[in-house]
Amino acid sequence: MRPNFTVTWSIALRDFRSFFASPKGLAIFFFFLVFMGYFFHNFVGLLVKAQQQAPAMGGQAPTLESMFIALFNNLHFILVLIVPAVTMASFAEENKNHSIRLLHTAPIRPLHIVLGKFFATSMMMLLVLLASFIFPLFTIGYGNPDIGVILSAYLGLFLLICSQLSFGIWISSMTKNQFLAFLFTMFGLFLLLLLNLLTPSLSGGGVTVEILNYLASGGHLNQLIKGMITFKGVFYFICFTSLFLFFTNVVLDSQRWR
Amino acid sequence: MIEISELSKSFGNVQVLNEITFRVDEGQIVGFLGANGAGKTTTMDILCGCLGADSGNAKIFGYDITDTPLDAKSMLGYLPDVPPLHSEMRVGDFIVFAAKLRGLEKNRIPTRMNEVLTKLELHEVKERIIGNLSKGYRQRVALAQALVHDPKVLVLDEPTEGLDPNQIVHIRELIKSLAGQHTIILSSHILSEVEQMCEKIIIIDKGRIVEQGTYQELVTKLDTDNSYVLRVIDNAERLVHELQEVETISKPTYEPNNGAIEFTIKHGAPPRSLDTIAKRVIDGGYGLRELSVKSKSLEDVFFQVTH
Repeated sequence: MRPNFTVTWSIALRDFRSFFASPKGLAIFFFFLVFMGYFFHNFVGLLVKAQQQAPAMGGQAPTLESMFIALFNNLHFILVLIVPAVTMASFAEENKNHSIRLLHTAPIRPLHIVLGKFFATSMMMLLVLLASFIFPLFTIGYGNPDIGVILSAYLGLFLLICSQLSFGIWISSMTKNQFLAFLFTMFGLFLLLLLNLLTPSLSGGGVTVEILNYLASGGHLNQLIKGMITFKGVFYFICFTSLFLFFTNVVLDSQRWR
Repeated sequence: MIEISELSKSFGNVQVLNEITFRVDEGQIVGFLGANGAGKTTTMDILCGCLGADSGNAKIFGYDITDTPLDAKSMLGYLPDVPPLHSEMRVGDFIVFAAKLRGLEKNRIPTRMNEVLTKLELHEVKERIIGNLSKGYRQRVALAQALVHDPKVLVLDEPTEGLDPNQIVHIRELIKSLAGQHTIILSSHILSEVEQMCEKIIIIDKGRIVEQGTYQELVTKLDTDNSYVLRVIDNAERLVHELQEVETISKPTYEPNNGAIEFTIKHGAPPRSLDTIAKRVIDGGYGLRELSVKSKSLEDVFFQVTH
């Protein structure tokens, strides 16, 4: 009767299926793809226009890669809205309807529960990312993009999403209110996004600026979007994700002592 | 076997449990009685690992819920006061999910699910969405998740809450049938339910255990007053007035619906005080129909120890 890691998988599958038990799962797909489609459409239009005008203006025509860099950077903004919607229910809903007791009284460690929730949301966002691959596929059909760079960018996006999901799950574990979980997650992710915009304008050097620069996810994401898979970049996202999953584990464990 | 010793818990300044100690032997059904806010659910939550205690410990078959939670929880089936259900799931899928959570072997899941569906008469709703079920069905699904892995210890917080009278009888029979193979602790505010089902009763009030024992032990222990029931054919109300003048008895009351006069012979009254009463009834021409010792009910016991 001793459970093993398959329990984590059972929790992940149950949570993943629950996305599609209501229109929520489809709404997440819809909004992500509509926003991404809008950006893609606009950027391709700009790219074509710029490429036509470049010879007359005497400048260098922008490449398909630069269009993708702009597109994937803009996705960062969309994710600040989409990820909180995916994670808000993770624990908040279970805390509200008391089904969390089902998990608390099961012979499993809090970490099994946390990882189950994380895998469920990761699977959901992985599917969304896969569906969004339709846009790069268009460019393969009509142009000659560097597939390696696109795959690297997608790896970067997935790592960024994982870090955002872990943050959202942590927020959700601390409340019974899904709306509050959504708001605080969005606020936190937005602050992290702002950090990217703020750090270049900070005057002087020093350790503080260095730390803030490292904490900002944009720089690490940019490298991956440009096709540079560095240990430093991947390590940043893995650390960020692990840290917030650990925090969630602590919250879950501490609930038994409140 | 459940052992709770000197368990205390407070929420802020409110002391919810105050050094509670009790024991439930293997195969026994124990009723946990208490008014709302007495500390029943908190005790059960601590026993099942949902809450931590400030001090004291709770053990399930020797495994401490704090030190060895996985071992303790593997023997546990818990039905909390609010059914822990996922309303978007189908009944069958939910029970399978609960079985997997509890670590039931994969090959045993179909058999065990079939057994609990039969026991709880849930076959006809197996494919239905839990959120669309009536309160009674939802309660039974919640009970199914507590039973599916055939736990040694069952903790049931108000298991018949929300059920209709037929279902209540059915669930009571089911719980009684589980005694012997399972150690069961159930809370209820329906005293007759506890009286019918439980071998041992624990009464908790304001976070303290005020009485515990078998039903007979509790009733005998508290039956120190000599209370009697008297029924006459004529003029019962006049007789009540007459009895109020008798010094050796106190509190004569008359219930017109069933025609019963209840009175208590005071402590220290002469041994044959009852003879005097009987003589008054006969001499007064009231027509004696019944003069009997009033049997104490659990309600009386509960009222007495919690007031």
